[in-house]
Amino acid sequence: MSFDEVFDVIVIGGGHAGCEAASAASRLGSQTALVTMNLDLIGQMSCNPAIGGIAKGHLVREIDALGGVMGRVADRAGIQFRLLNRSRGRAVQSPRAQADRSMYRKEMRKTLEGTPNLHLRQGMVMELVLRQGRMAGIRLQDGRKFGAPAVVISTGTFLNGVVHTGRQTYKAGRAGEPSSIELAEALKRLGFPVGRLKTGTPPRLDGRTIEWSAFEPQPPDEVPVPFSFATDEIAQAQLNCYVGYTSPGVHAAIRQNLHLSPLYSGQIRGIGPRYCPSIEDKVVKFADKDRHQLFLEPEGHDTNEVYLNGFSTSLPAELQQELIRLIPGLEVARIIRPGYAIEYDFVDPRELGPDLQTNRVVGLFHAGQINGTTGYEEAACQGLIAGINAALAVQGRPRFRVRREESYIGVLIDDLINQGVDEPYRVFTSRAENRLSLRYDNADERLESYGRNLGLVGDFDWERFTQRRDRLARLGKILEGTRLKRSDAAYAAISAKLGVDLGDSVTLAQLGKRSGVGVDIIRSILPAEKLPGITDSEIESGLADSLYAGYIEAQRLNVQRVHQHDSLQIRPDFIFRGLSGLSHEMVERFERARPLTFGQARRIPGLTPAALSTLLIHLSVCDHPA
Amino acid sequence: MDTIVALGTPAGRSAIGVIRLSGPDSLSIARSIVGENYFKPEPSQPVLRSIKGTASNSILDRALLTFFPGPNSYTGEDLVEISCHGSPIVLRQVIDLTLGLGARPAGPGEFTLRALSNGKMNLTQAEAIRDLINAQTEAAAQQALRQMMGELSSRLRRPQQALIHTIVQLESALEFVEDDLPELKRQDIVGELTEVASDLHNLASTFEVGHLLRDGVRVTIVGRPNVGKSSLFNKLLAFERAIVTEVPGTTRDTLTERLGLDGIPILLTDTAGLRESSDRIESIGVERTRQAMAEADLLVVVLDGSEDLRAEDLSALSQAKSARHIVAINKSDVASFDTLEKSRPSYEAGSVNVSAVTGFGLETLRAAILEPFVAGDSPNAGFLITDARHYDLLLRARNEVQSSWELLQRGASEELVLIGLHNGLRFLGQITGETSTDEILSEIFATFCIGK
Repeated sequence: MSFDEVFDVIVIGGGHAGCEAASAASRLGSQTALVTMNLDLIGQMSCNPAIGGIAKGHLVREIDALGGVMGRVADRAGIQFRLLNRSRGRAVQSPRAQADRSMYRKEMRKTLEGTPNLHLRQGMVMELVLRQGRMAGIRLQDGRKFGAPAVVISTGTFLNGVVHTGRQTYKAGRAGEPSSIELAEALKRLGFPVGRLKTGTPPRLDGRTIEWSAFEPQPPDEVPVPFSFATDEIAQAQLNCYVGYTSPGVHAAIRQNLHLSPLYSGQIRGIGPRYCPSIEDKVVKFADKDRHQLFLEPEGHDTNEVYLNGFSTSLPAELQQELIRLIPGLEVARIIRPGYAIEYDFVDPRELGPDLQTNRVVGLFHAGQINGTTGYEEAACQGLIAGINAALAVQGRPRFRVRREESYIGVLIDDLINQGVDEPYRVFTSRAENRLSLRYDNADERLESYGRNLGLVGDFDWERFTQRRDRLARLGKILEGTRLKRSDAAYAAISAKLGVDLGDSVTLAQLGKRSGVGVDIIRSILPAEKLPGITDSEIESGLADSLYAGYIEAQRLNVQRVHQHDSLQIRPDFIFRGLSGLSHEMVERFERARPLTFGQARRIPGLTPAALSTLLIHLSVCDHPA
Repeated sequence: MDTIVALGTPAGRSAIGVIRLSGPDSLSIARSIVGENYFKPEPSQPVLRSIKGTASNSILDRALLTFFPGPNSYTGEDLVEISCHGSPIVLRQVIDLTLGLGARPAGPGEFTLRALSNGKMNLTQAEAIRDLINAQTEAAAQQALRQMMGELSSRLRRPQQALIHTIVQLESALEFVEDDLPELKRQDIVGELTEVASDLHNLASTFEVGHLLRDGVRVTIVGRPNVGKSSLFNKLLAFERAIVTEVPGTTRDTLTERLGLDGIPILLTDTAGLRESSDRIESIGVERTRQAMAEADLLVVVLDGSEDLRAEDLSALSQAKSARHIVAINKSDVASFDTLEKSRPSYEAGSVNVSAVTGFGLETLRAAILEPFVAGDSPNAGFLITDARHYDLLLRARNEVQSSWELLQRGASEELVLIGLHNGLRFLGQITGETSTDEILSEIFATFCIGK
């Protein structure tokens, strides 16, 4: 077969995973095609118009530190920035922003079009072309054939997508857009184990028909915290969101009409995320709650459309309109687009290596919802890793992976490829063993040098990073080296504020170990000239370093002690049945998960300590044959 | 890598017991227990030292210490062998000492495991040892042990569930700030953690008795001469082991026999009567009595109920006072016993009237001996931790929960409070099986309506 065009890397799908993948691969010097059904919808936010949130904001920062694009684009399109968990420790704070939906698309498209080696192509992919079991190219619906030794599939909900509203169902990747059926078939033909997941969206309302005074405004932060380390200023005017509640009347009406919900009629079989339930689910599963929270989120500066977050539903469209009007403040509201549920195929992510290449087909990479995840940020970070590795593979360079100890991206990929998914996977801070080390504000310290070594971080950004790193190091020394003494003018006030006696003399680093010590206290001790060029945010980072240092060290020792065997390797062909004294059930659990290290085996749910002990002893024996 | 410790010889009474320490701190721990800062014997050359107890100037044992520096040791790490006298009590005290200095009780097969990971064995040797370990695993699968494990797991369920419950509250508060969750009630969580810590503490504290039941309870009979200690000793053993005469001071040496009371192993010791004596042999005997009293888990102070108390009786009682003890008032068969009954003082530790001649009161005495070890009114009635590893894990879990409790009280942010709770749960998980992140997330989603 001859190809109409030949590339190094082809990315299928122009969502959040596809954009990162294409951008990374092309910037690493690979001729890269981004093939999507509709170029006008590149970077579309299919669900709520927001980026970030707890753990998700961490991911965006990590993507940014590695040289990805999501953070920069979100900063340009963000219309309401808020740093979440401000009252808690730095490790669990995270940036979040509402984004102008159409501006986000426009900015993403502009970013990709400005990237050398990146070629946008519109078309629907029908077939994967293999040669001797390796990726060779793709065939489009219009007959064109593109060649490439590496292909990234990031098709989101389009893979065999089916939309449900009430009893109406139709094949679609998003409401009004065709689904990708042939590609799904092609993957099945290759033998990939495919499952079915479900997600949903709420209706979008005409803002002119909302009684805004019935809702409580939720203002943006006065000083927005951006996603990208490169962003100095947020240019977009900032807006309010609004908070309201459902009423018992709404719940009663939903209960009466449950039989019309495809979720409860058995029409939908795919598994939906428990942390993003439909309003039907909320009413049924939490029957004792007489109201559920709703958010009115503006879709952008230039539109009346308002996203009714918290009211995801697959009830019939005409019923949705009736239900909305039972909500206080929405008595005369009109729906512009009804909510819907969508079912789609995903491929078992245990088919993947840590580089997100499939074990089955050399040169084929999967990223995003095809791997069973949910969320723009989860998709984007996988796109980045898959795009990087697709380019590295073509260039014959060693693969790139990040470890779970050093990043949420590593946590996510490690969880996916080892444990698989049985519901759409979302990142949570509690999934990270090293939560205290993985802060949004130190993502650059953790990852920027990887991005630089790969070639994704340019000179300008690297210079900015190294200067920031130097400033933080200097700050660290200042905090270590400055003492607050009882005789100091500020001592009494600080001691009183913290409600403790600080002793005769304490370094500022020691002071930072106390909760409640913030920038104001440090600034009251150190005048601005002693902290040249150091921002408030950097002082917060320095204090967080002090606060967490002791805990992180204790945790490290603990992990070392408890998990000292984690790196023991398990051969891919290891026969678990051969372990004497293991119950049938334990053998099955091992075989289903097929761990490659003892650390992975340890995280398999449901194993007994005895089973792990048996495995450990066996591994130690086999590890030292001589 | 941390330093592990275990008894290298079978548990129970033997002539010699060998304790092995392996890991980077072996030598420094050895230095502490012999009280010499620069102690460093020639490799593989046993040297004799006194093992210092925690009390000032106390000496637990005279022992042979042998240092095997890594990598030329069994495990490939620094290893110290301590050959003590074989008393289970002494051995336990020495092990406790090393635990206090940072050693950790070795898991099953862990010395071998270290030897393997350091490449100290070839495949054949290793497989032989693996078979041995497997054999032990099979033995461990025996009914009794399984029941014990099942029982322990079920007793851990409550603290474990409570821990998960608090983790769910705190994790939800920080993961789902935008959701409409009920306000976090920190004081309720403080209360819940107080209970968890006390549950774990109570369970762990059964170990003190639990290990006695495994290694044998040392019960030592003491008293002034001629109150009938040896008669009582023979009666409890149900055979004429000790020589009994009318002559005060017949027993010159301590005499120990093993017996079972309700299935609990008892090491019963008869001693020379306590009194000042110019007889050299008798003095040595009395010295040994004092030694036996120091080692005992329970003293039975025997008095002669047919006579008034003498100064020597009072002295015996006062020597027993600081130890766990009971009082046996003997010779209830003698006529004057009853007439003196009213004038007898009452003893705080409780007393039992017996007759070593007729056997009167023996059942009550047996019950009184067992009573401290099978306490019936505690929440852990009849259940005891006997495994040092379980004990260690329970204590570690308790300490973690305690530290979280303190952070919570001080108003620390949730992510800090959670560290100890997750660690605590993980330590308990090493006994009962780990709780995965997914199980905790499931619990969160079942408890709260999460999600926009």
